Amino acid sequence: MFKALLARLKQGYKTGSFPTQSGPNLPPDFRGRPEIAADISEKEFSAAAAVCPIKDALMRDAQGVRLDMGRCLFCGRCAEVCRKIRFTKEYRLGVFTREALVVKAGEGPYTPPQQTNPDALALRNTLQLREVSAGGCAGCELDANVLGTLAWDMGRFGIRFVASPRHADAIYLTGPISANMQLALDKTYAAAPEPKFLIAAGACAISGGLYAHGRLPAPPALYIPGCPPHPATTLEALLRFTGRLTGQL
Amino acid sequence: MTEVTSFADLADANAFMDSLFVYRDPPAVAPLKGAAAHEVAVGPVHAGVIEPGHFRFQCMGEDVYNLQIFLGYQHRGVEEAIVAAQGNAARQIALAETCAGDTSIAAATCFAEIQEAFANVAIPEDARRLRTLLLELERIANHVGDLGALAGDVAFLPTASFCGRIRGEYLNMTALLCGNRFGRNAVVPGGLRVELTEEKRLKLVDWIATVKKDLDAALKLMFEEPSVCERFDGTGVVPKAVAEELGLVGVARRASVELHGDVLSRAMVRRTEIEEAHRKVLDLLRKCTASTRSPMPAQLPAHNGFAALTAKVNAWRGELLHVALFDATGQLLRYRIVDPSAHNWQGLAWALRGEQISNFPICNKSFNLSYCGTDR
Repeated sequence: MFKALLARLKQGYKTGSFPTQSGPNLPPDFRGRPEIAADISEKEFSAAAAVCPIKDALMRDAQGVRLDMGRCLFCGRCAEVCRKIRFTKEYRLGVFTREALVVKAGEGPYTPPQQTNPDALALRNTLQLREVSAGGCAGCELDANVLGTLAWDMGRFGIRFVASPRHADAIYLTGPISANMQLALDKTYAAAPEPKFLIAAGACAISGGLYAHGRLPAPPALYIPGCPPHPATTLEALLRFTGRLTGQL
Repeated sequence: MTEVTSFADLADANAFMDSLFVYRDPPAVAPLKGAAAHEVAVGPVHAGVIEPGHFRFQCMGEDVYNLQIFLGYQHRGVEEAIVAAQGNAARQIALAETCAGDTSIAAATCFAEIQEAFANVAIPEDARRLRTLLLELERIANHVGDLGALAGDVAFLPTASFCGRIRGEYLNMTALLCGNRFGRNAVVPGGLRVELTEEKRLKLVDWIATVKKDLDAALKLMFEEPSVCERFDGTGVVPKAVAEELGLVGVARRASVELHGDVLSRAMVRRTEIEEAHRKVLDLLRKCTASTRSPMPAQLPAHNGFAALTAKVNAWRGELLHVALFDATGQLLRYRIVDPSAHNWQGLAWALRGEQISNFPICNKSFNLSYCGTDR
């Protein structure tokens, strides 16, 4: 036991200062919320769309040019060929409606949405999640697991992954919902007590991503885009979902 | 390393593709008989944040007589999607990367090597080095995570906590190189989309030195703890002869062939591989310079008859195999991915024989196989 204490003493306190004291420590090449310049031309749009791995992530119609973060893999290829598209360092990507995931050309400064649903606000000090991996690549699962490690320690905010849907306030869905997981997902969602929420994490869960999208058991109450979402994005989204975090970090 | 196999006709080519390894669910067997006989079914949704699979433990009293592993819940048609995405290399490589997310770098490397071999493009030496560097960081991160999880499963919390955090450090090193913690979108046909600046290189050297000290201390703590070693020692044994007969690969094979094939052996192999990978990483960091990219042709060239290109990468779980079948015009006809996990599920089932169900978590973690890699 003394050896363990000594090792702990040497390593020091390692829980990050995010989100209590500072913003997250993101890598220099981090690709967060995209921005599209208002004057993006048809030619520039076509060049960007041509290198995009996802169909319909970049769109252009009567409403102008838009980028759907619910489909985007944040690979940054479009920004390489088109200067009118830029991936910012904005990591706060979690939103409460599907439409809010769509970034429009020439959009002004971004303000994340605030929670108003009383059932979600009631979970401010305790949010129990049951994870369902439905055809995912394990990327989203791994970076959700990471939040339980001492580096992120989401337990200090009362957020936990629980073993049973019976104990869950929300189903945390990852993966495109493969045909063979549809039934298991439906049953797991049905087994959670009311009121309950569905959280769609990652491009696959939100839109199918690269794959065919299965049937969501309910409209998600929280969307966390990314492939996979960065742990800071996920933690911030969960805290804002329950109204625990409202201000700027 | 890429091998080319040529075929005169499509039937031969298809036969070759069909002969590649696929994990198949065990055949249905009759329930055990007797007063002590019972079956425990687990999954597809598990208690932890992990992927789906269905396990059926056929038990006699406390002992597991037979473990059957049923997979396929993660099947989403990665291989077919890669063929369908022909002409969109960005989409194809993203599909390969998401076959098994924890092996993204190895998968992208396999895909890129096939494209390069087919187009007869040699990638620059610095790009090759940088790919290896990323692969070794992927190996370290995963092994560290698994050793921590093993400690967690036997309730040895210091190492579990330390390793959980340290794994993240290695993922963040990968993110420093390419912007993504899993190395997504870093490897592309022709080279990499990574800029290794001198600043990043120096930062990595320092970072690794600091983290490695913490890692060594964390692992020493666990491997010197008698209660942990006693728990791992002799648990979930796959004897050498069985490992060879089942065709196990990677960590599981090394553990059975070089050591005793138990949980402790698989943990020790991971520790050894972490050491080997660190030596390689530090060596590569000394040699690595800014990466350059070879231009790839817009279209793959024509070829004589049907050709199957096989790329093998020593991924962290073992040998990852990608095989692409092209016709004479350079059209991709079929794509197969053989994840190292596919070979090793039978090893896990064997390891559980005669054990108690309570030993399943540590046996499972000592293998840590990929469901999505197997199901594709």
